[in-house]
Amino acid sequence: MNHRHQWMVFLATAVALLFIPGGVMAQTVVKVGNILPLSGPSASVGLQNKQAQDMAIEEINSAGGIKSLGGAKIQMFYADSESKPEKGVAEAERFINTEKVNVLTGCWNSAVSYPVSAVAERYGIPFIVPVSVADKITEQGFKNVFRIAAKDSWWTRDQFAFLKDIEKEFNVKIATLAFVYENGDWGKGFAEGWKKLAQQGGYKVVLDEPYPSTATDLSPVVQKIKRANPDVLFLTSNAADAILLTNTMAEYKVKPKAIIASGGGHADPSFMKAAGKNAKYLFDIVEWETDVNKPGAKEINEKFKKLYGYNLAGESVDAYVAMYVMADALERAKSSDPKAIREALVQTKLNKGPAMIVGYDAIEFDSSGQNKHAALVMVQVNDIGKGMERITVWPKVSRRANYKPVFPTP
Amino acid sequence: MLFILEDTINGILMGSIYGLAALGLTLIFGVLKVINFAHGSLLMVGMYVAYWAVILTGMHPYLVLVIVVPIMFVFGYLLQDILIKPIFKAEKDVREPITVIIVTTGVWYILDNLSLLVFGPQYRNIQGNPLQGKMLEFGDMMISVPKLWGFCAAIITAALVYLFLQKTRMGRAVRATSLDREAASLQGINQYKIYNVTFGIGTAVAGVAGTALVPFFNIFPSVGVLFDIKCFIIVVLGGLGSIGGALLGGMIVGVIESVGPQFMTATWTEAIVYGLFLVFLFLKPSGLFGVKYDW
Amino acid sequence: MNPSLYRKLPLILAALIALGLPLVVTSATYLHILILLFLYAYLTTSWNLVGGFAGVLPLGHATFVGIGAYTSTILSLQYGISPWIGMLVGAVLSSIVGVIIGLPTFKMRGAYFALATIAFAEGIRVMFENIDYLGPFQINGPRGLQIPPLKTGLAHFMFADKEPYYYIILAMLAGVLALTWVISRSKLGYYLVAGGEEPEAAQSLGVNVARAKLMAMAMSSFLTAFAGTFWAQFTLYIHPKSVMSLDISFEIAFIALIGGRGSIAGPVLGAMLLRPVSDFSRIYFGSTLPGLHLIIFGVVLILVMLFQPRGLQEPLTRAYRRVMNGRFGGKEAAA
Repeated sequence: MNHRHQWMVFLATAVALLFIPGGVMAQTVVKVGNILPLSGPSASVGLQNKQAQDMAIEEINSAGGIKSLGGAKIQMFYADSESKPEKGVAEAERFINTEKVNVLTGCWNSAVSYPVSAVAERYGIPFIVPVSVADKITEQGFKNVFRIAAKDSWWTRDQFAFLKDIEKEFNVKIATLAFVYENGDWGKGFAEGWKKLAQQGGYKVVLDEPYPSTATDLSPVVQKIKRANPDVLFLTSNAADAILLTNTMAEYKVKPKAIIASGGGHADPSFMKAAGKNAKYLFDIVEWETDVNKPGAKEINEKFKKLYGYNLAGESVDAYVAMYVMADALERAKSSDPKAIREALVQTKLNKGPAMIVGYDAIEFDSSGQNKHAALVMVQVNDIGKGMERITVWPKVSRRANYKPVFPTP
Repeated sequence: MLFILEDTINGILMGSIYGLAALGLTLIFGVLKVINFAHGSLLMVGMYVAYWAVILTGMHPYLVLVIVVPIMFVFGYLLQDILIKPIFKAEKDVREPITVIIVTTGVWYILDNLSLLVFGPQYRNIQGNPLQGKMLEFGDMMISVPKLWGFCAAIITAALVYLFLQKTRMGRAVRATSLDREAASLQGINQYKIYNVTFGIGTAVAGVAGTALVPFFNIFPSVGVLFDIKCFIIVVLGGLGSIGGALLGGMIVGVIESVGPQFMTATWTEAIVYGLFLVFLFLKPSGLFGVKYDW
Repeated sequence: MNPSLYRKLPLILAALIALGLPLVVTSATYLHILILLFLYAYLTTSWNLVGGFAGVLPLGHATFVGIGAYTSTILSLQYGISPWIGMLVGAVLSSIVGVIIGLPTFKMRGAYFALATIAFAEGIRVMFENIDYLGPFQINGPRGLQIPPLKTGLAHFMFADKEPYYYIILAMLAGVLALTWVISRSKLGYYLVAGGEEPEAAQSLGVNVARAKLMAMAMSSFLTAFAGTFWAQFTLYIHPKSVMSLDISFEIAFIALIGGRGSIAGPVLGAMLLRPVSDFSRIYFGSTLPGLHLIIFGVVLILVMLFQPRGLQEPLTRAYRRVMNGRFGGKEAAA
């Protein structure tokens, strides 16, 4: 064709292309950006998070999507943070600016969630944090951060509350404590909380031992515990070191009256498998356990187990629930505009549906974006005939029927 | 006082396993004169091979050495032959080809992440294996049985490697090549074959170290990273190419790690190990038993 | 076309493109990737002063990034001092540390030197992770320091958009490239190259090789610290594992080696190849097949080293010259 015609075709195509974005305006998809550690040292938990969220999204979408948006489906985009803050920030920026997500979620590592929350705040994109517990994430005065899990000062507070309760219930006096924790952001945060609470509770701290999570031999730490001979040992560990510590403590026959762990590595399914009998009588604080007395919990856990081969853990449940919180907000927002979603999240009063497999009764955010009802349960690892399992023991109202916790350790 | 003794023994046992891990590295470093950053990954591969061998055959963890050692030797031999030899050939006149460092780093990234893809990130260990959790008790002191086995494996392996280097023809050729490449090849020794064999042996020894760790340690894709730098420290401490040096250097590091925490937190012992490393580098770069080379 | 102009042509073109890029590339993601690319090109070029010209292999340069980042951050968070001044203070501190590290290590050869730099870098990092307060300065151990983006503007080295960061790092990169060019033609440059290749011969000619290397190290660590401050002001959060990690040290060295150390264009070329490979493979593969992007990175490293061990700068320059000769006649070939 001659030049004139070529130009006209070109012009026509260009003009047509301009209308296409307009055509997609009828929103059929809500985009969510999800930043998780999918490689590197936290890959195991990152994967569990992803699986739980995939399951939730699939359920929501196959149940008809977001009805108030004409059945819009949720589309999840995943990115690997490699547990590195600068990669998490880069991916957050990419999600917001290139993929144009409507909601951001993630990042498991508090060190990543913390700077990513600043990015979300800058662009006004709601950021739903299922798991990262560092207090400071919701203490920055931001308006776009919403956290499902309890903050870490609540965890330490509940660990000590449990200790007091169980001292009373079994009439055993606890005098000395040992704190052993991984030398990262999380472990140090807990240790600060413990030290304060120990002082308030009048306990004597006989050991304050941070250790490198990448240690290849934890026998020296275990020896220190043995020699300090505490009544109760508090632990904050990632999976690899939790396994190593538990097995080494069993080897050296270290048996304080109770061991109280802080979730994280101790709640990882790998831990139960690898520690086996050595984990008997361990107390662990988590947001959720498979035997929680809530309708639907068992079924949803069975479904997850069938799909992926292991149980849901507290963190994966938070991730699962976060998706329902988001869907609920989307329904009420009746729009996929981030501002509207944010407003809807602020008004959240979710107390029914699959999100309620959590151990508490409603999800509501306070003015700092913290889920104010987030509560924790304490479980004990024990074998009552069906192999090693995690049994909810505290608060007393959540305790599994017919189970009496074993304390002090026999 | 008893505590220090118990800790020292633990340090020696664990340290000998570190030394075993470093033994392969000191051979490769000493003969090929390059930094092999993939060593930690080779250790990881050894652990997975041992793990699967035990799971699939049900054999005693140390019996699987008959499977692990040949597999690792071949793996190392091929790795050197295919990826590293071309660089040596291309840079014949450079004493220490730095490009090999990059290639080994590439191998490290590839091995670690390939095993992440294939095996997944979970932590594995062998439940109910005959060595797990067993302790020997002497009064108040407790000694870990799997570590004791590891100690024996380290001594035996070191002795075998030493005998190989001293008494066999191939071994002598390896020593000749490590002392002076050109002179050795003038004597008719094919230096590339020597490199392949050395790499193979070094990798096989890493396999033994992996097997020693499997009864009590976690197995996961990035486990090699934990041992990598430690092995380099030990190699320098002990002296390049020195077998006794690798074991002794490992034990020194092990003892520092075990006894140190009694006087400070475990996190500071890391810094002490690095500090000791630096002191050695400055005062005696050839290490405890290394030969002073004409660098 | 006269020969000196055609030699300068790529530079002029590159400068124009670099200056004009933000007008065309509006996506913040791509700007972010470009900024990081220039940052690594900057880091690698600074590294090149020691690693390229002096012929040694320092594998612990991240420690200078960390010193720069922490110094300017602590000064601005605790004392309200402008990050620009903090940047200078950090650079001075950094070069002092660099000389301290260089004094004993330059006596070592090859692999030992590399291991020593690793040990220094990791030792310093472990110390930062264990210290909460160094005297009156709050370091905060492994929890790191966050910089609240409260006051923006040039004086505070804080911007809401990416463009200002882009131009700052571009200016820094141009500056350090120019500095490298000047040094390469100066006496110091010749001393370094001679000392790197044939130290005994150089010394017999009266060249104080050790002093030249120390000067190079002081300059290199000084400049690297600037990048640390930039990083802190750009990512707004620093902790030992993020600014002092071995990963960063390795990446800097590898980019230089792949691009071609010892040359001026090499580090930049290396950054232009490796950074996009790393970023894009993480973006496209990071979520589906975990770790695949690192496998790809490893494969690229191996392939380049197998086929172009001296770096890509050589073949690329040769190809460029061939093209230029082909288009502008044979008389330039002799020029």
